[in-house]
Amino acid sequence: MKVPTDTLQTACSDFEEDLVLHYYGDGSEAERNRVEAHLQECAPCRAFLEDLRKLLPRMAKPNDLPQSFWDSYYRETLEKLAALEERKFWWRNFFAPMRAWMLPALGTAAVAVLAVALIFTKGHWNFSLKQPGENIPQEILVDTNQLEFFKSMDMLEALSKLETLEGTKSETGHSHT
Amino acid sequence: MNPTTQQDLRDEEVVALCQQGRSEVFEILVRKYMEKAFRIAFDFTHDTEEAKDLSQEAFLRAFSRIKQFDGRSSFYTWFYRLVVNLCLDYTRRKGRVIWERLEKQTEDGAEPVELADGSSLPDEEAIAGEAKRRADKTLEAMPNKQRTAFLLRNHQGLSIPDIAKVMKTTEGTVRVYLHRAVAALRQSLVEFV
Repeated sequence: MKVPTDTLQTACSDFEEDLVLHYYGDGSEAERNRVEAHLQECAPCRAFLEDLRKLLPRMAKPNDLPQSFWDSYYRETLEKLAALEERKFWWRNFFAPMRAWMLPALGTAAVAVLAVALIFTKGHWNFSLKQPGENIPQEILVDTNQLEFFKSMDMLEALSKLETLEGTKSETGHSHT
Repeated sequence: MNPTTQQDLRDEEVVALCQQGRSEVFEILVRKYMEKAFRIAFDFTHDTEEAKDLSQEAFLRAFSRIKQFDGRSSFYTWFYRLVVNLCLDYTRRKGRVIWERLEKQTEDGAEPVELADGSSLPDEEAIAGEAKRRADKTLEAMPNKQRTAFLLRNHQGLSIPDIAKVMKTTEGTVRVYLHRAVAALRQSLVEFV
């Protein structure tokens, strides 16, 4: 076993973690027995554990606070909790003044007001429906001039067909004579 | 329910009552855990007012989220996690401030420190004060996880399985954190042994 030469006695690397747990009383029984057996024969590990026993309890010692501090702490915490509860259920306070009979009464009143409003404003309601083509993109819409153009083209085509028909008839007539 | 009966209730029973709408019984949990919550917050902040605010905030959060508590862990593990998370958020936000506060304490050297045996010899008092400041500084310089594991074990007395639950990690990892923290503290405090 290597004995360190510096001022700080180091424990065996295999045991250091177990020694910390041993100090706190943690670890399984088998681990504790193993550490105990090792401590019997290893001075640096005993020194390490001794250091922990001297240092660590000193660190955990809390600053003593007077009872008045805790009383005030407790009171303040309860006040904060009450304020939180208040905020959480603010709507209860909002509706608190309303009695059970007030809700149907208010509902009836609201319906009556609506009915009166409908009677007196009869004929003034202007439900302006949008034209169906209002939202159709411009590219899809057919221009009126284009429609006129197509109509005239149809007419010309019909005329030329008539002329062709007439011409065929006259040719047949001449051939008969 | 009379006060004596209330005080006898187990945490799980108090939580169940709160979940049923009996929010007034939450004060039992405040009374039971206020000192522990304050002390862990103080270990992180080194400031009484900040520790008070943080630990009270933890109670408010626990109260607001009590319906989300599903009983898979004990109440105090769940509550400790709230406190620790608040403290870690605080240290991330105010790391520099805490460091400066400790520096100032070291310069002033005015903090009265009582020894474990109650003696008050000036030299011993000064040495104990210096050791405490050195330990605080070492803790402050540690990674958050190592510090948390150490504070929960050494100052709060939580078991390793409970610390693992609070920190949402494995017991093996907690052992490693604890070992590293203790080794660092011993290294920095060797002259005070």
